[in-house]
Amino acid sequence: MSLEINVDDQAVKLELLKKDGNALKVRVDDVDYIFDLVMVEHGVYSIIFKGKSYNVELVEAGHSKKYIVNTYKKSYEVEVIDAEAKYMKNRKKSLLEGSENSIISPMPGKVVKIPVVIGEEIKRGQTVIIVSAMKMENEYKSTVDGIVKQILVKEGDTVDGDQPLVMLE
Amino acid sequence: MIKKVLIANRGEIAVRVMRSCREMGIISVAVFSEADRTSLHVRYADEAYFIGPSPSNESYLLIDKIIDAAKKSGACAVHPGYGFLSENAEFSKRCKKEGIIFIGPSADVISVMGDKITARQTMISSGVPVVPGTKENITSEKKLLSVVKEIGLPVMIKASAGGGGKGMRLVKNEKDIISSLRAAKSEAKAAFGNDDVYIEKYIESPHHIEFQILGDTHGNVIHLCERECSVQRRHQKVVEETPSPLMTPELREKMGKDAVGAAKAVKYVGAGTIEFLVDDKLNYYFLEMNTRLQVEHPITERVIGIDLVKEQINIANGKKLSRKQNDIHQNGHAFECRIYAEDPENNFMPSPGLIKHIREPLGLGVRTDGYVYEGYNIPLFYDPLISKLIVWAKTREESIARMKRALHEYKITGVKTSIKFLNKIFETPDFVKGKYNTHFIQNNEDFLLSGDDCDQVCRDMAIIVAYIDYLNKIDKNNIEHASVNKNEKWKNYGRRKGLQRL
Repeated sequence: MSLEINVDDQAVKLELLKKDGNALKVRVDDVDYIFDLVMVEHGVYSIIFKGKSYNVELVEAGHSKKYIVNTYKKSYEVEVIDAEAKYMKNRKKSLLEGSENSIISPMPGKVVKIPVVIGEEIKRGQTVIIVSAMKMENEYKSTVDGIVKQILVKEGDTVDGDQPLVMLE
Repeated sequence: MIKKVLIANRGEIAVRVMRSCREMGIISVAVFSEADRTSLHVRYADEAYFIGPSPSNESYLLIDKIIDAAKKSGACAVHPGYGFLSENAEFSKRCKKEGIIFIGPSADVISVMGDKITARQTMISSGVPVVPGTKENITSEKKLLSVVKEIGLPVMIKASAGGGGKGMRLVKNEKDIISSLRAAKSEAKAAFGNDDVYIEKYIESPHHIEFQILGDTHGNVIHLCERECSVQRRHQKVVEETPSPLMTPELREKMGKDAVGAAKAVKYVGAGTIEFLVDDKLNYYFLEMNTRLQVEHPITERVIGIDLVKEQINIANGKKLSRKQNDIHQNGHAFECRIYAEDPENNFMPSPGLIKHIREPLGLGVRTDGYVYEGYNIPLFYDPLISKLIVWAKTREESIARMKRALHEYKITGVKTSIKFLNKIFETPDFVKGKYNTHFIQNNEDFLLSGDDCDQVCRDMAIIVAYIDYLNKIDKNNIEHASVNKNEKWKNYGRRKGLQRL
């Protein structure tokens, strides 16, 4: 089965050619790799390729098709683009266009202050919400001039990563 | 004799203190907030008491709650760790009043050394050098010129109400003195509505070097040599080492004497740290005193061969120091790295969350002081410090190699950590040569943040693993679906029967 995979926003084609226990043959674009692969711990894979030992860690990022993959030296964002993902991606694109001006929390934290109110006109660079995590306060600023359309959280609320906080118009 | 200690702290330091308690046969009592029910210090302790909601100002910072837990548990002493109430004079006083031993200095000493101005005055009167300058407002240009003459260029003019670099002027040349004063004053006026400014000697390429001291109740004070803490980011220490590459035996003796003198001047009892700024010409100036155990205390423990928590407890028991200054020798070289849950690639944003997998480094010369475990959720209410990695080897060179090896072994997934960033520090030429000061991270930012490049094969391995993991997931799903669908089995059975008939 051939699949498209996005790695750091670059599309790569993969195909599993042969599988015999741990011994695998995989084609990446037009290079064939024959190697030995075992999952040694939960989320940790060991690969032996041409006598070299690679340790690779996988962390699911949000959902089952998105991964953060850590090699020792570098970490990659990898997304498997199957039929469903393709469909969702197209849909998301149109959704995103509508909600480009939302402030989304990049990490879990607690809302300290919301210095704006609904209907308020705000300028680009103006602080819209302050979220604290681990003794540090982070100010999230608007990237556009606009009007506060919706405030989805209250001061004192605990928020997750990737959660929409304030919608702008 | 202390038989039971309440540790008024959390995280790695609480666990570290409890370890020494266990070795000494002392019962340890943990306190915990709502967020910390599953924290390791609660699991490690012999007893544990709930003290309130997750935010630290509703739990770990409430003196009443801590005292209440101490009384309920019957603990005869309290160890404050670092941070939280460790340098709170009121807390030390209250413990004394309630008949509980506070493992640290008295309230008076904490207040004298905790206030920068009184600490500075105490140091001046006991003959310890301080950063030259005035703390009073500079009112006339004439006065400014006379002060500058006294302390010498370069100087820094700072707004008394200042902060964030506003109203601050660095003066290097004589001709700029007056114009800089005017500019600083008008900037201060505009920013803070107050044009008071003071003047301080500007220390070029400063090193942050501190001395560990120990004092007992019998008036003995010794120092345990220095720690070099110049690798800092936004005034937060990142890597520490001892001995300092800058230090000479003569300077060590001189600074050590001054550190002991400073501690004696306030009749210091317990473990404490005197922080100095040292310039390239080896002039040094008192910066401040920390009246508690420091985060980076393990490197001193390793090189001197001492357990500082045990010493603290012995001192609190009224024992005399077991060693004299002549018995103190540095052996080998130690480094400490602070592993934070933060994302260096994203402006060091804190990264709380679930630890999916962790493997700590082991092997010769390696120590980790941490508190997280697989399945633990790092709460967002407290410090992002996950653990401290301490290595020791006979020489600095070998110690650097060992730290890189240990960082290579350290695996934490689920949250972002500073491990790769730390490894880069140990590869930076200035650091390897031991030629660095507090501007190190700033000066080497590009190198430190440049990602290591992986070759094509390494990248492809990463993609392959994700691909295989995805395929395995699909396989699993299909198997599950198949077994759920019972009708399918009957259908298959029927087909097989049919085939047999043919």
